[in-house]
Amino acid sequence: MAFHSDRELRRAAPAATDSPSGAITADPNVTRRGGLIPVTKPKRREQLTGYLTIAPAFILIIGLTLYPVAYSIWLSLLEKHSFFPQERFVGLENYFYLSKDPEFWTSLWLGVVYSIWTIVFQLILGVAAALLLNQSFVGRGLVRGIVLFPYMIPTIVAVILWKWLLNDMYGIVNYWLLTLGIVRDPVSWLGTDHIMLSTIIMSIWQFFPFVLLSILARLQTIPEALYEAAKMDGASPFRRFVHITLPQIRGILFVVILLRSIWMFTKFDTVWLMGEGAGAGRFIRTLPVYAYMRTLTYYQAGLGAALAVIMFAILVVCTVIYFGLFREEADIG
Amino acid sequence: MNRWRFQQLSNRSFLYVGATLLALLAAFPFLWMVSTSFKPPVEVFAQPPTFIPQDPTWDNFYRLFTTTNFLTYFRNSLIVSGLAVLLTMVVSAFGAYSLTRYQYLGREKIAGLILCTYMFAPIMVVIPFFILVKKVGIENTHFALVLAFTSFCLPFTLWLMRAFFKTIPVQLEEAALVDGAGRVRAVIYVVLPLALPGIIATSIFTFILAWNDYIFTRILITSDELKTLPVGVQDLFHSALIDWGLIMAAGMMITIPALLFFVAVQRYLIRGWGAGAVKG
Repeated sequence: MAFHSDRELRRAAPAATDSPSGAITADPNVTRRGGLIPVTKPKRREQLTGYLTIAPAFILIIGLTLYPVAYSIWLSLLEKHSFFPQERFVGLENYFYLSKDPEFWTSLWLGVVYSIWTIVFQLILGVAAALLLNQSFVGRGLVRGIVLFPYMIPTIVAVILWKWLLNDMYGIVNYWLLTLGIVRDPVSWLGTDHIMLSTIIMSIWQFFPFVLLSILARLQTIPEALYEAAKMDGASPFRRFVHITLPQIRGILFVVILLRSIWMFTKFDTVWLMGEGAGAGRFIRTLPVYAYMRTLTYYQAGLGAALAVIMFAILVVCTVIYFGLFREEADIG
Repeated sequence: MNRWRFQQLSNRSFLYVGATLLALLAAFPFLWMVSTSFKPPVEVFAQPPTFIPQDPTWDNFYRLFTTTNFLTYFRNSLIVSGLAVLLTMVVSAFGAYSLTRYQYLGREKIAGLILCTYMFAPIMVVIPFFILVKKVGIENTHFALVLAFTSFCLPFTLWLMRAFFKTIPVQLEEAALVDGAGRVRAVIYVVLPLALPGIIATSIFTFILAWNDYIFTRILITSDELKTLPVGVQDLFHSALIDWGLIMAAGMMITIPALLFFVAVQRYLIRGWGAGAVKG
């Protein structure tokens, strides 16, 4: 042990682990000074070690993520069976085909509908719940823990749970609706008419905790004094929200909306599993599901890749526009 | 004064009603799953439904373990998630150490590039990944799955570990080096013990992601004896007549490990969240 005494280590340790500034806002000097540790060693050796230690991560990310994504651009120019090795270069033919494919336009539309509704309601529910859980009350810690469950469980479990709750014959939701007299006949929640609605509701339930926790983490850093001052001046709760809370959470809202939009627009497992076996899957065939089906149901890997590329292009364009529209928030976030 | 007290009281009750509703909204589906999993088949379909099983039984669990491949799936899930955590953590610990302790050309660019890949959704990666894996000839192996999980988790674990390493003062290592310890010893005896909470939290996030994954396993694994839980359970669901009691028992068995780990790391969660630890 290189320390003069254990006491010295112990004194230093809490400062390091319990830094109130949290993980991301660590002392910026740390990294800069980090470069100077082996004071006596030559700089080149220092650089080499640096490169060597980052190399495995860098190589894995290049090889397993960036290369596949780049390869999918090439793949989208081929006519290729998903299982057999034959491939033929067809140029942009896959894209031309898709532009005339009604199924593609439908899936794009369904994807947009699904993303917009789920994002809007996740945000409303998530922010409202965060404001609530930022108040102090008995059992707050417990509720904060419970509320995160939906986000932490496997999607497959979330889906079977909701399929059971929404079962048309024996589901508890229909039982309640019938008992309370809200509907006269059992609603076929997973049938063609309602499957989109059911999937949206289920997705909001599954993903609102992400919004909740992100916002809550930020709310906890707003100084209480701001609210006290506003109360003194007689500001109503609503005005306090608009004039104090909202400006403070603008930055994190920007990031949360960006991430949630990307993830909802590309959400595959929830939508696919909700549609599986229900017979009405066609009515929630969003773009990611369609890309999957082209690849693994019709075995047209080229078309599947073209769909993935289109999805990526849409995301890039939307992200650039989004950053342009909310330049101010982007700086805070 | 009285009016003020009344206002205060009604505000409090609103708060408690809201909190209760929120907790119920999040937890009710689980409670219903637990309840269903202990019901005998007749009671599962009983009208009106019973909330507390009248005749609780372990039968659903018994059938799950004896008539299905559940235990195989469970073992596969453990193996694949465990290996993914191991690989991811070793690689990201080295990487994060490099990003916070050494200075070299393009360091910030590399960090930025890694963060960018965080935005790639699985569906965009998995299609080309599948084709490439077939070309290399490692389709339908746990090895391919571990690689896939690692590629999926690495951007955020690296980011998170970097944030944790940043909070450890460099002076501690400098002191160790001055005292004559080598770099390796300084890292093992000084940095790692301090980074342990971060390492544990990051490992568990990785474990939960790998444990919960559906899409990579669905695409990369075809033989039944190699399937992990989410895919295995989905296939149980496919059989002609849905055995809800059995399915709910399976759901419970998948959820428990994830939830246990989740409870264990809950106190690191907010910090990790700030660093962008969660994806999906």
